[in-house]
Amino acid sequence: MQTGTIRKKHNKPTGWFCTLLTAGYIFLAPALLLVSLADAAPATDSTWFVEMNQYSGAAHGSLRCEDCHGPMIESESGIKKPHPDPDDDAFLKSQTKRIFDYQSCRKCHKTAYSRFLKGAHAKAADKEKTTGSVSLTGYAPVCGDCHSAHYSKSHLSRVQTGRIMTQTCGTCHPDQKTSYLSNYHGKAAVNLGHDKSAFCTDCHGAHTTFSLKDNEAALNACLRCHPDATPEFANIIIHDTKKNIALKNDAKKTGLKWVHGVRAVIIFFVVLVLVFFYSHTGLLMLRKLHEKLRRHK
Amino acid sequence: MEANPTPNETFQRFGVLHRILHIIIIFNFTLLAITGFALHFSEFGWVRFLVSVMGGAAAAGWLHRFCAVFLYMGVLIHLFWLFYYKFVLKQKLSGPDSMLPGKKDIKDLYQNLRYAFNKGTPPLFDRYSYLQKYDYWAEMLGMQSMAVTGLILWFPDFFAGMLPGYFINIAGYLHLYEAVLAVMYIGVVHMADTHLVPDIFPMEKSIFTGKIDKKRFMEDHPEEWKRKQMINN
Repeated sequence: MQTGTIRKKHNKPTGWFCTLLTAGYIFLAPALLLVSLADAAPATDSTWFVEMNQYSGAAHGSLRCEDCHGPMIESESGIKKPHPDPDDDAFLKSQTKRIFDYQSCRKCHKTAYSRFLKGAHAKAADKEKTTGSVSLTGYAPVCGDCHSAHYSKSHLSRVQTGRIMTQTCGTCHPDQKTSYLSNYHGKAAVNLGHDKSAFCTDCHGAHTTFSLKDNEAALNACLRCHPDATPEFANIIIHDTKKNIALKNDAKKTGLKWVHGVRAVIIFFVVLVLVFFYSHTGLLMLRKLHEKLRRHK
Repeated sequence: MEANPTPNETFQRFGVLHRILHIIIIFNFTLLAITGFALHFSEFGWVRFLVSVMGGAAAAGWLHRFCAVFLYMGVLIHLFWLFYYKFVLKQKLSGPDSMLPGKKDIKDLYQNLRYAFNKGTPPLFDRYSYLQKYDYWAEMLGMQSMAVTGLILWFPDFFAGMLPGYFINIAGYLHLYEAVLAVMYIGVVHMADTHLVPDIFPMEKSIFTGKIDKKRFMEDHPEEWKRKQMINN
């Protein structure tokens, strides 16, 4: 009887399934390890190397180095930057600098370039050049600060691009990233992968990058998804934070004051109600339990 | 231990309509809470998994709105029933059987709190105790406010045409914190007061079966029991 049941247990299909699953995991573990090792950075301290495996899979993977960097041969006329001498002691010892010559991007990305020139980032870059002072968010970005020429991938989905974008924009605008991610747009778009929700550039423009402090500009952004939006609709606060409040327009400043005031009142009310009823129920439960135990029933 | 020759006598406490309405509330309230908080706490991986199981953010949003409409239809049916009860059946909506709060409820609350500190006896409730009344009113009024704020969030373009823009933000916070309050109240206080009470544990079934034991009737609703006996005699 006893042995019979044991044999029956072994014949269960779930047993075979579990064995297969375990075997699968045992094979999978080293495979995953190898894959992660293959993706790891090369074992060198120099920043001059381009990870060619990643490069060939990236958007610019079909381009030759010369297409952007030029031939770098001294004999050719008009070459400003010859290739450094490989026999030099300092060769590959210095640090690479990200002086991004965006004229070379312009050759192919004409529209993006002209839009960039109209936008806030280009204005900040100009201001930086003339005044020499850096804005609050740091150095004004040019092409290479947001896009990696060697590694950025193309043909990503809207959500994949949007998730990378949130990180990219967030490096210089961390408060805006946080407030966007606590808004419904950010939660649905970035967290839940809802591609009909708005990512950063859907409102602020991809290369034009406007602050949308101007109500009319903001309304135009809203209208792209909300066709019935009124001017007042643009006063809905998306970046709901009191940080950087100076960057907001007057309607948003008064709005924020009210929103946070009402929010504090609601939280106080909720806590008050819960504290009262939790203690009420808790105390009565203890009393009733006490009575019941005393009755021994 | 003691032998009880008579079978457990039961009394009708809730009609079919109210039992069905209560099940509608349970079903929709739970789904609304899950789909709603799934958006709010979407930064957690398991919540994302849950949403993907539901069919993505769009589907979860659709389910949330569907359940909201379904639940509010329950509210409307209840209101229609109240009219029917009052004007067709010509019954009284006030009085000891009603859900309307009265002086006795405040006295009962005070007496119950005294009882919790071992001063005096527990209050003798009528058909509905003050906690049951509070459950009812919290739910009924809460659903009105959730409906209003929910509609504002559902049709922000329409409401921004007549309200200042930041009202939509306020509606968002009201909707969120009221949901938190509702879930933490229903999930803990309502559950504990109905099911966790030592004499009732593990489960109070009268809202599902509609029936109440004679013993529970006499202990939990002594005033109603007394009135019933007076009418019968």
